[in-house]
Amino acid sequence: MPIVEKSLVRVQRTEQLEIDGIDVSGDWNTFIEPRVRADLDLRIVDWVRAQPQGDTIDRCWQCGTCTAGCCMHTDYGLEEFNPRYFIYLAQIGYEEELQRYAQAIWRCVSCNKCVERCPKGVKVEEVVHTIGTYLEASGRAPETPADRFDRAYTDNLLDRGILDEAQLFRSYEKLEGRKTPGRELLRMGAALLLSGRLHTGPLAHRTKGWRRMRPVLQGLLEEDLRRRRASARTSRPADGSHP
Amino acid sequence: MNPVLVLGAGPAGLSAASELAGLGAPTLLVEKETYLGGNPKRWHYSLLAPDLRPAEEILGPLIERVEHHPQIELHVGSQVSSAEIAGNGYRISLRSKEGVQTREVAAVVLATGFDHFDSRRKFEYGYGHFPDVVDFKELEGMIHDDRVLRPSDGKAPGRIAWVLCVGSRDIQIGNPWCCRMGCVVSIKQAVEIRQKHPEIQAYIYYMDIRTYGLWEDLYWKSMQDYGVKFIRGRIGAISMAEGGRRLIATGEDTILSRPTEVPFDMIVLASGMEPGTGTKEASDLFHVPVGPEGFLTPKLSDMNTIDSGLPGIFLAGAATGPKAIPDAITEGMGAALRAFQYARG
Repeated sequence: MPIVEKSLVRVQRTEQLEIDGIDVSGDWNTFIEPRVRADLDLRIVDWVRAQPQGDTIDRCWQCGTCTAGCCMHTDYGLEEFNPRYFIYLAQIGYEEELQRYAQAIWRCVSCNKCVERCPKGVKVEEVVHTIGTYLEASGRAPETPADRFDRAYTDNLLDRGILDEAQLFRSYEKLEGRKTPGRELLRMGAALLLSGRLHTGPLAHRTKGWRRMRPVLQGLLEEDLRRRRASARTSRPADGSHP
Repeated sequence: MNPVLVLGAGPAGLSAASELAGLGAPTLLVEKETYLGGNPKRWHYSLLAPDLRPAEEILGPLIERVEHHPQIELHVGSQVSSAEIAGNGYRISLRSKEGVQTREVAAVVLATGFDHFDSRRKFEYGYGHFPDVVDFKELEGMIHDDRVLRPSDGKAPGRIAWVLCVGSRDIQIGNPWCCRMGCVVSIKQAVEIRQKHPEIQAYIYYMDIRTYGLWEDLYWKSMQDYGVKFIRGRIGAISMAEGGRRLIATGEDTILSRPTEVPFDMIVLASGMEPGTGTKEASDLFHVPVGPEGFLTPKLSDMNTIDSGLPGIFLAGAATGPKAIPDAITEGMGAALRAFQYARG
């Protein structure tokens, strides 16, 4: 039977794939993935449970009431956003699959309808965000354009304590390895200039006292990242038991 | 011998009174409603699972026997308003429209039963607001009269959905227990409707199907012989569509891993069982402890659900937790025997 439901098919691109000496590089609609899952890793659920916002994760019994009412799903049509599925993947330790949603998981707008309705009292919104935090801290999530933009944005802010849109655009383009045609650049620059938002080069603003502020903020951000990475790495008790 | 008091005239109480009378014990059957038969009578239950025999066929003879037995003193529309220990038995006040009378009883059978969950409390489902969202106890009456029609316009529904676990297994409502009946009764209703009206489509939204024990057979038959469809996921909310002509059940099909919004002509809520108001009153009157759920607690629930552990007080039926009609009737028999032995001394 052909698969007619397009949204269920994940197109996979292989730049260089050779099977039994035959070159099969290209776009593939679907690969039959192996059934064997040797990589189920309960560290994730152990870590989530150990966080104050994640301690209701074990209550979930997969009824789907949260996803049924989820506004990301129904109102914004973000089909990949499925809180029940995220919690399930975390519970069984299927991190590889969960990493696919490392970005989508942050699209939650915290309307808390799920928390209001959950028949088992799972704090769905908090648990889902805790899973997201784990994925981020694990450092294993594939980097996406949104991640790169975040990086460019933070660097830009840290630079002078105020956003420089033109600079942000340039550095993001560089990260993406992309070049916008000159005419388009000119058009955007003119629009920024006219709206009084072109604070770049000689026109740049500077936040007062930023020279002293910056190292403090930078230190805090680095410390936070270090702490979360360390905690995500060492979350599992040595005997593998539940905390 | 002082009479034995049986409190409540549902299946368990009727059965207890009937057995006591059969043993030759004078029996005082007290029922706060004005009719005998409890919830099955009140809501006009249709066929009973698992053998799909009409409820009247089961309860009718029992009611008949209790109404006419010379050993049974019937007090309908009456309530026990106070109780105190007197000798080995109890001295009770019976209050009715005619006034209050004091009686001495040798033993007590509490068969105070359950109340159906009030589905209005699960407000996301719009019961009481959307006329075509009906409670399954109301559907029992509709099936019984063979008038399965939409309350809004009196038309025959093309597609009906059942929503299981309404007011059961739900912390938000405060009822974490399983009602035991929702699955089998909903499936039975779907089968009954499909038997009489095969043109009506039946969908059941479930989280787990708990047709425990021998009832599993009905679950299988519903799929294999009657084409009842099952969707795994709990409904989050019910809303109106098509200018109020149809209802939309919003849920996640957890097998497809995506939300579904399916239009239905009628949605049936399988409301759970809660301790009856009579059960709470009985607990206060006779100092029988209740569990966190509010049902009466037997002394050793691992052993039997009849002995309360208090002198001369025995329990029967849904007063101790959700129960099927045959179980309630059986427990009524057991409680009658225990009460008889105690009363005889």
